[in-house]
Amino acid sequence: MTSPLRIWSLPWALRYLKHEVLALPGRTAALLFVLFLLLFPLFSQDPYLLRVLTLTALFALYAASWDLLSGYTGQVSLGHAFFFGLAGYASAILGRELGLPPALTIPSGALLATLAGVLVGLPSLRLRGPYLSLVTLAFPIIATGLIFLFPRFTGGELGLSGLPRLGQSRLEEYYLVVGIFLLSVLFLWKLAGSRVGLFFHAIREDEVAVRMVGVNTVRYKLLAFAVSAFFAGLSGGLHAHYLRVAGPDSLSLFNSIQPVIWSVFGGIATIYGPVAGTFLLFPFLEALRVAEELRMLAFALLILLVMRFLPQGVVRGVLERLEEECPRCKVKNAFTRKACRACGVPLHLEAREVKP
Amino acid sequence: MGLLEAHGLSKRFGGLQALYKVDLRVEEREIVGLIGPNGAGKTTLLRLLLGIHRPDEGRVVFKGQEITHLPTWERVELGLAATFQNPRPLRRLPVIANVLVAAYGPRGGRKGDWVKRAEARALDALEFVGIADKAKEPASVLSQGELKRLEIARALATEPELLILDEPFAGLTPVETELLAKSLARLRKGGRFGRLHSEGCAMVIIEHKLSELFKIADRVVVLNFGEVLAEGTPEAIAQDPRVMEAYLGEGAYA
Repeated sequence: MTSPLRIWSLPWALRYLKHEVLALPGRTAALLFVLFLLLFPLFSQDPYLLRVLTLTALFALYAASWDLLSGYTGQVSLGHAFFFGLAGYASAILGRELGLPPALTIPSGALLATLAGVLVGLPSLRLRGPYLSLVTLAFPIIATGLIFLFPRFTGGELGLSGLPRLGQSRLEEYYLVVGIFLLSVLFLWKLAGSRVGLFFHAIREDEVAVRMVGVNTVRYKLLAFAVSAFFAGLSGGLHAHYLRVAGPDSLSLFNSIQPVIWSVFGGIATIYGPVAGTFLLFPFLEALRVAEELRMLAFALLILLVMRFLPQGVVRGVLERLEEECPRCKVKNAFTRKACRACGVPLHLEAREVKP
Repeated sequence: MGLLEAHGLSKRFGGLQALYKVDLRVEEREIVGLIGPNGAGKTTLLRLLLGIHRPDEGRVVFKGQEITHLPTWERVELGLAATFQNPRPLRRLPVIANVLVAAYGPRGGRKGDWVKRAEARALDALEFVGIADKAKEPASVLSQGELKRLEIARALATEPELLILDEPFAGLTPVETELLAKSLARLRKGGRFGRLHSEGCAMVIIEHKLSELFKIADRVVVLNFGEVLAEGTPEAIAQDPRVMEAYLGEGAYA
């Protein structure tokens, strides 16, 4: 492994870039994606484009949080909007009642969502599969009912508007959201690849078998609920302040289903899949506004076609064609290589003609 | 006092009395064979011991500690481990990850380089059952015999003191069966297998291949209709007319 000092040495960084990042199409794409997000305002400051990108980044974090819980841990949540909407409302109400700035109310909202995550997670200790999904589905509906019950406090159907802005300018808001999005997704991705992530994976595959080898599945399932709800809440709070309104729409069934669509489209249990799915689908849906009547039809058609030909999701489907696993050492290689970059084993064993 | 003592375990599933006041006692480093016709309650007994089901009545004591109401993972932490009759691998994960899930458990301790030690132990568990060359393959590519061995490797990675095996020989070829029987005998004696440590492991083996089982078991317990029918050395059990009757039906031995 590399010592921490070497990370800051330029020659080492360049070598790493060449051999570990540019050698693989997937990592190259990830690097280009990050650069694109960070440098985009240099090329265009069109308010509409910035707005679409900001919202996409918000929703991509939302989708990634869904993936950690449902894709990795297998606790399929169909009520993720509960965490998203709850944090938005909490942030709005805290700001209004206590006059706190968004920098404090959004994290508080996310922490409240974390608590809510543990609350929703409790039934998951007894319920499995579709039964759990139905229970999660009920929570945002209950929350919507409560919001309509106390319109003075929650603004009823209109929601709470006039929330403080995230930043002084569009650019500031853009970089704030993109920065939080990148760091959060990096955290989720690292978590999913860690020892804890292995337990999440294992719980999805066979919970009883995992218990039998001494894993406290209760603890890890609740942890998955808490972390996932925190990041869903974070994106929900940012979303409310970005649009400057916390409304009942954020708790709608549609908002619960959206991260599911994006994640499945991009490929579940990858973290980067849902991000890619959101960044492909959300701007696409925006672009379709030129043909408002056909918008949802075209959207549905695209999803159907992709699911037909790339059933494991766009990212895995494409990467499978661009990258190849070395049969001996399991290191990934670009499809253009003839021999494995780590162990030198030939990758494409073509059937040679056998002459009689 | 025995390593594991079960007193008066009863379990009812609806109208079926699966177990009725069953006592089981396992001494340290003892191999106990658990046999009985289909539906006798062998697997139910395993599930009660591991805490997958809770008994209606009775107590389970392990190493002098009452564990009747502990969740499964805490029993494993104390030193119990079991394998399933039908292997339950984590199919989409690599073989090594299957074992790592077990090796990372709390029994490995949490001091110093424990992660590295756990990883080494996982590899050695695969080595012990002889599927280390498949470590990086997904578990879904393994054959039935290899899956059975993976199941055992996973249990071993927790370094158990009592291992409960549910039909370990079923579905194995005669050669595989013999190899496994030898491995189990080595495991009982204890010692170091690479970085995998065993103090000498007691075993409860549920099995239908009686000839294989009787070769390695110290004592055999026979269950029938949820009750203990007979108990004794393999030789005594092999002669016992009640056992033959249970297996073959009344008058079959006459």
